[in-house]
Amino acid sequence: MLTYADRLSQIRETKIRHTLEKRKQNGYTDLDDFGTVPLPEGYHVEPWYNSDNGSFYGYDGMSENFCRVLDAHEPYVDPMELLCGRWRDMLVNYRGDLHYMPDWIKNSKKNQEFIQKGATRQWSKRWDEQRFPYEELKPWQEKYNITTGIDGDAHFACDYRIGLQLGFGGFMIKIREGKRRHPEKMDFFDAEEKCLLAIDRFIVRHIKKIKELLKGEKRPEVRKTLRGMLNASQKVRTSPPDTFWEACQWIAFFNCVSRIYTRDGAGFQMDVLLYPYYRRDVEIGILDDETAKFLIANLLLIDPHYYQLSGVDEKDKDLTNHLSYLILEAADSINIACNLTVRVHSNCDPLFLDQAIFYLLKNKNGWPRFCNDTTLIEGYMRNGIDKKTARERLALGCNWMAVPGREFPMNDTVKINIAKVLEAALEDLRREEERSTEKLFNLYEKHLKKAVEITAAGINLHLDHVWEVTPELIMNLMMHHSLELGEDSSRCAEIFTVGVDGAGLAVVADSFGALETRVENEKILTWENVFDALESDFEEERVRLILNSAPKYCQGNTVSDQWAIRLTKSWTDMVKGQKMPEGRMLIPGWFSWSRTIEYGSRVGATPNGRRAGEPISHGANPNPHFRRDGAPTAQASGIASVQCGYGNTAPLQIEFDPALKANDKGVGVIRNFIETHFRQGGTLININILDRKKLMEANKNPDLYPDLVVRVTGFTAYFASLSPQFRQLVVERFLDVG
Amino acid sequence: MVKGLIADVQRASTHDGPGIRTVIFFKGCPLSCVWCHNPECIEPCQEWMYYPEKCIYCGKCQYGCFAGAKVICGSVMTTGELMEELLLDKAYYRRGGVTFSGGEPLLQGDFLEEMLKNCREVGIHTAIETSLCIFRESIFAKADFVMADLKVWDSKIHKECTGIENEGILENFRKLNRMGVKVAARTPVIPEINQNIPEISGFLKTLENVISYELLPYHSMGITKAAALGRNMKVFTTPSPEKMEELKKYAYIR
Repeated sequence: MLTYADRLSQIRETKIRHTLEKRKQNGYTDLDDFGTVPLPEGYHVEPWYNSDNGSFYGYDGMSENFCRVLDAHEPYVDPMELLCGRWRDMLVNYRGDLHYMPDWIKNSKKNQEFIQKGATRQWSKRWDEQRFPYEELKPWQEKYNITTGIDGDAHFACDYRIGLQLGFGGFMIKIREGKRRHPEKMDFFDAEEKCLLAIDRFIVRHIKKIKELLKGEKRPEVRKTLRGMLNASQKVRTSPPDTFWEACQWIAFFNCVSRIYTRDGAGFQMDVLLYPYYRRDVEIGILDDETAKFLIANLLLIDPHYYQLSGVDEKDKDLTNHLSYLILEAADSINIACNLTVRVHSNCDPLFLDQAIFYLLKNKNGWPRFCNDTTLIEGYMRNGIDKKTARERLALGCNWMAVPGREFPMNDTVKINIAKVLEAALEDLRREEERSTEKLFNLYEKHLKKAVEITAAGINLHLDHVWEVTPELIMNLMMHHSLELGEDSSRCAEIFTVGVDGAGLAVVADSFGALETRVENEKILTWENVFDALESDFEEERVRLILNSAPKYCQGNTVSDQWAIRLTKSWTDMVKGQKMPEGRMLIPGWFSWSRTIEYGSRVGATPNGRRAGEPISHGANPNPHFRRDGAPTAQASGIASVQCGYGNTAPLQIEFDPALKANDKGVGVIRNFIETHFRQGGTLININILDRKKLMEANKNPDLYPDLVVRVTGFTAYFASLSPQFRQLVVERFLDVG
Repeated sequence: MVKGLIADVQRASTHDGPGIRTVIFFKGCPLSCVWCHNPECIEPCQEWMYYPEKCIYCGKCQYGCFAGAKVICGSVMTTGELMEELLLDKAYYRRGGVTFSGGEPLLQGDFLEEMLKNCREVGIHTAIETSLCIFRESIFAKADFVMADLKVWDSKIHKECTGIENEGILENFRKLNRMGVKVAARTPVIPEINQNIPEISGFLKTLENVISYELLPYHSMGITKAAALGRNMKVFTTPSPEKMEELKKYAYIR
């Protein structure tokens, strides 16, 4: 008799095999695992390009190519599982975006030709530049190394309640109603309908595959679950789900297709949303906790979307329920790269937080992470948002939040590399006769203002035209007003609080701190010494060390800590102060995503003793080796002091002492740590607790540990899939713990 | 004003007492244990430490070393300065606090006592890690928690290994018992030395105030630091997990 434990162990083995095969196929990917499975032999998609620049755009381009990619997806049914469906490939791969492009496409001769037709690392063909050019912005975007958000996709959140209530059939009814009501929007509704029909074919292929497998399956317990899978799939093909199993299967299908379309990874408040299904099924005796856990584990395996647990509602009432605990247990049973976030609030069940920390310590796999349900909500309300809406805003990405179904925030797609802004200010200062950190700061602010203006112009261009370039045909299905009005989410969302993140805070703060300390106060170096050293990329190592050994950000009350606070205020004022049209607002945060290497490669030597081309600092984190003891408390206090305060984050990305055990003391220490950082005003904590020996061995030979998961930035990833440079960054952060 | 000589301040330690703690390493110790893992804390004066592998050979040592190749160990601090450092993590001390370690913190008794008083005034939990070769009732009366070592049972061997006999230490354990001060007792386990751990454990069990007895495996982390001080230190064997498992029966928590 095959138990759930037996099934899980086989599923885990399959997962390890997939991770290794994917690396062979895709090369190193410094990205989320996404739950994809390897491509089968002979997989091929012939894209349809509707633009003479060799790319595809708009309702027709996106819907046609979505159908082509989705139709090329074979069904994925594993008899060990209770749910079916996986995804393998995404539309963006065919639009010349080198950043995400896997090796199997880069290495194809045909695709290479296409890529070489004008796409560069920065300027992909995801944006239709022929129709919506922005040549005038480009030199400035290069100058300040701005990640523009132009050509971005997803990075907002669906309201899954809509989908679970309507089902795919309900979407179709709405689309056909829309056609009747808005004949002038026919191209929109046609595209939506076309996508929906492709989704239907995808589900039908799964149904067919399950039936085939049932024919050859002899084991009664496997036959039973395959029949369950069949029933659930047949039901959700047209009707909204009624049972817990059906709800999970519906979500699995939706997530697969949404990923294929725009890599959308924003999930939902899992415990709250699924609880009514769970409770009903348990009450009528068709579901037990073991099956519920297996279904959740299965869903997490199919796709590690960002799911949220616990927290409080708009009346500050605890949302934690029995399912919250089961979800943790389910994640523990499968123990893969999970992106579960626990919302922390003083009104929440404290035992749940302890249990969540227990699993973090037990598995040392970087999950769950923790967000501050108080600071984030209060901060978001400062933008004039009501409390109920603010409470609904979920942590759904590496560093970001969104109000499901109602907000279009472009979160995590827009960044300014402030180390590059500092570089521009230093160039100006060199030409000045009078030099001081004060003067440098004025120049920095002048350039920052320009950088924010350019960024805002890019955001407005994107928001004005993205519906004509990359309409969100799948996520629209679960956005309020979209199918009702026949408008893309980018045009009909209720809230446009657009996130703009600064990257490189520690590099800039430490640079100002080093200049103030070594040049102005101690007079060990002159300004000319510094400029010469930067120009020669620290030909004289002693000069580099003098600057690099100055007091740093996060050491505690240092000159650089003060600069970090000042830089945060300046950043916040500048971003918040930027005027935007049509009710749009910019929301400041500190986050580099996993682009620290790429951003660093664009910046010359900096006065904190960082050599040209070296990575910039990660998010709001201090520079590596900021203290000899690497004290997490020092880091946490520093990061709490640089929060921008409008509902977006400056996350604390931290490595913790691997000697901490999953016992009362370990849980107590971490809990105190989380609660204190949040009381200090922190917003989001991503914790890695790694086994030192394992990490070092895995760095030498990643294939030894194909199941080792680390939290890279906000997302977790398989260590074996990361590039050697990225593995080294994770190792260095970890070594700081001492 | 009383000043202290401090070798290092380590924040966010989770190994030196309950919760998250800041550990202050006092410089100076009357003992000189052959296995000492903090040899830089033995001499009660400032010392240079050299790390040649970090030297960039700039030839400008006299103008200050920024490479970390030549560093001074020991900062002279007022209680106010040290408090400032401790207060940085006050928010995190909810179940933790400050641990005065070393070296032997009681060697700088006036400074330590002043620090204990200051911590108590601002509500910071305090712990002392001591070899108990020095006793000062007023200090132990002010500390919230004491961690004390009993390293070797046989007084002669104790003298050979640490430089002093252990009768005074045993008596100080008894004094703490009479005072009713709760003590967590520890022994570093060094396989080459006949420490008579069963006897140590037996003695500690007779003292009601000893709430726990912990055995800590020897580690060789002191060797690099001794080399940086220009001293030679004997390297001992790290006890095997099996050996630690075998000794586990002598450890206890009451």
